[in-house]
Amino acid sequence: MYTMLCPGCGHRTAMTLLDGLIARKGLKEKVVLALDVACCSLLIDEVEYDSVMCAHGRVLDVAKGFQIVRKDCCVISYMGDGAAYSIGIEEMIHAARRNDRAFAVVVNNGLYSMTGGQIAPTYVGDADPADAHAGFRVEQVLAPFPVRYLARAALTDAPNIDRASRYLEAALDGYLSGGGFHLVELLSPCPTNYKLNPKDMAEMINARMTVHYPLGEFVKEGARLSC
Amino acid sequence: MPKKLINGNEAFAFGALAAGLSFYAGYPITPSTDVYELLERDHEKYGVEFVHASSEISAVNMVMGASIAGARALTVTSGCGFSLMQEGLSYMAADFVPCVILNVMREGAGLGDIPRSQGDYDQMTKGGGNGDYHAVVLACSSLRDCMVMPALAWDLAEKYKNPVIVTYDSDIAHTRENVEILPPKRIDIDRLPYALSGNRGGRPKLVQNVNYHDPDFTQTLSRKYEEIEQHEQRWQAYETEDAEIVLVAYSICACVCRDVVRRARRKGLKVGLIVPVTLYPFPEKAFENLPACRKIIVVELSILRQMRRDVEYATRFRYQYDSVSSLSSCPTVSDILTLTEEVN
Repeated sequence: MYTMLCPGCGHRTAMTLLDGLIARKGLKEKVVLALDVACCSLLIDEVEYDSVMCAHGRVLDVAKGFQIVRKDCCVISYMGDGAAYSIGIEEMIHAARRNDRAFAVVVNNGLYSMTGGQIAPTYVGDADPADAHAGFRVEQVLAPFPVRYLARAALTDAPNIDRASRYLEAALDGYLSGGGFHLVELLSPCPTNYKLNPKDMAEMINARMTVHYPLGEFVKEGARLSC
Repeated sequence: MPKKLINGNEAFAFGALAAGLSFYAGYPITPSTDVYELLERDHEKYGVEFVHASSEISAVNMVMGASIAGARALTVTSGCGFSLMQEGLSYMAADFVPCVILNVMREGAGLGDIPRSQGDYDQMTKGGGNGDYHAVVLACSSLRDCMVMPALAWDLAEKYKNPVIVTYDSDIAHTRENVEILPPKRIDIDRLPYALSGNRGGRPKLVQNVNYHDPDFTQTLSRKYEEIEQHEQRWQAYETEDAEIVLVAYSICACVCRDVVRRARRKGLKVGLIVPVTLYPFPEKAFENLPACRKIIVVELSILRQMRRDVEYATRFRYQYDSVSSLSSCPTVSDILTLTEEVN
């Protein structure tokens, strides 16, 4: 599956986790996938769900319009860090401010990958580990807003991928039962653009990205946890 | 049907409800805001979902989401707000998504100002967003048009799976008349076979415009616009059969020109009028049978005389042409009448 992606790409892991989750919950007939452009959009050729490819950064708006009309559908907003935190940050903030009923998955690799690995606002590759302003911590940006679920995991190795799976399930369960805004960010390897082999790429994320992007659940069922 | 004293924007809002509107997302901007306000106030009464979008960019993308779910979804804007929607429009045209956008034209480029103008003609009819696409553009030239145009707009949008822009200027928007109110209607969101609803077996339904796997995509896209141009040209003609001078105008200019034709005829001047209803596709067929025509006068609120170029092309440059044009000063009946007398 997902043969359009580069070897070692985190989207394959993220989408495979979602596929498993959707199958386990018996949701295939209800899922509508709202995808961002670029690498995310490559998934549209292989997914089994009704899907829409949105303009860059507009996934949450398209998903909101859709969700309001078809309340019984499970709308998954799937986007990269450029869409979520750069060009689409206004949409993200307002969706969180309104606590829109949403299940958002953000695949964060710190780069604009499709266009060749240009540096995004989320990039921390060269940052001083002590620099508290490096990267883009969504849990800080959305702190004033009444979101229901916010967590970050890393798609690097078995324990971390297992944790990602649990966070996605918690977010999906919350979205299905209680409504409100649910977001899971997944730190994701991009071996092609970091020019690392998959093993070194995973180590780089674990050793350097997680310094600026702490892992864990930050908000659960609307309650803020330590972060 | 009951009549009510309302303005053009309110007529459009009632017309949209009569066409089955069920979703509205918008951001206020003069002179379009009456539509927003009426729907904000009464949306629950009519079962319409109303969203205060955080920008026109958000609004148009929410409308895209609601449209692909099968709703008759609307956003309404003016001026620079319409510019912000061009990316969404371009996406929906490329994605074969039906939707309706109302652009109440205001004066000038940039922020401009709020008086009447028709300066968005090229932006609406020639593209506006990136790429090879057209939106169907419908112009309202009376308050009755404002009431009936939303239904036509959605019918065309769903027939061709393409965005439709409805437009008029701020004079039509704020003119008050006694208008017959059409009753509101509810529509079924499952009526469109292509609406996304979850994959219940078979191939998933996809809304996308990256179609490198589809060898017929270029043809499919070309055929959409060819069919629109062939079948959907619409116009209103007044006294054109024996007209030696034919006026061409839409929206408030059409209202003025209808009066010009009446007065000219009383003076024995053979003056006629063509009012394009579709600005895209431009109604070239309206000009096919003008046996007595010597001169065409295009009356429009555009210093660049944007519509005149379409008129000249539609008539293959075979007549004499003149323009009455300005940025935002409404032409008077006597100005145009004087011009027609000079021709004679």
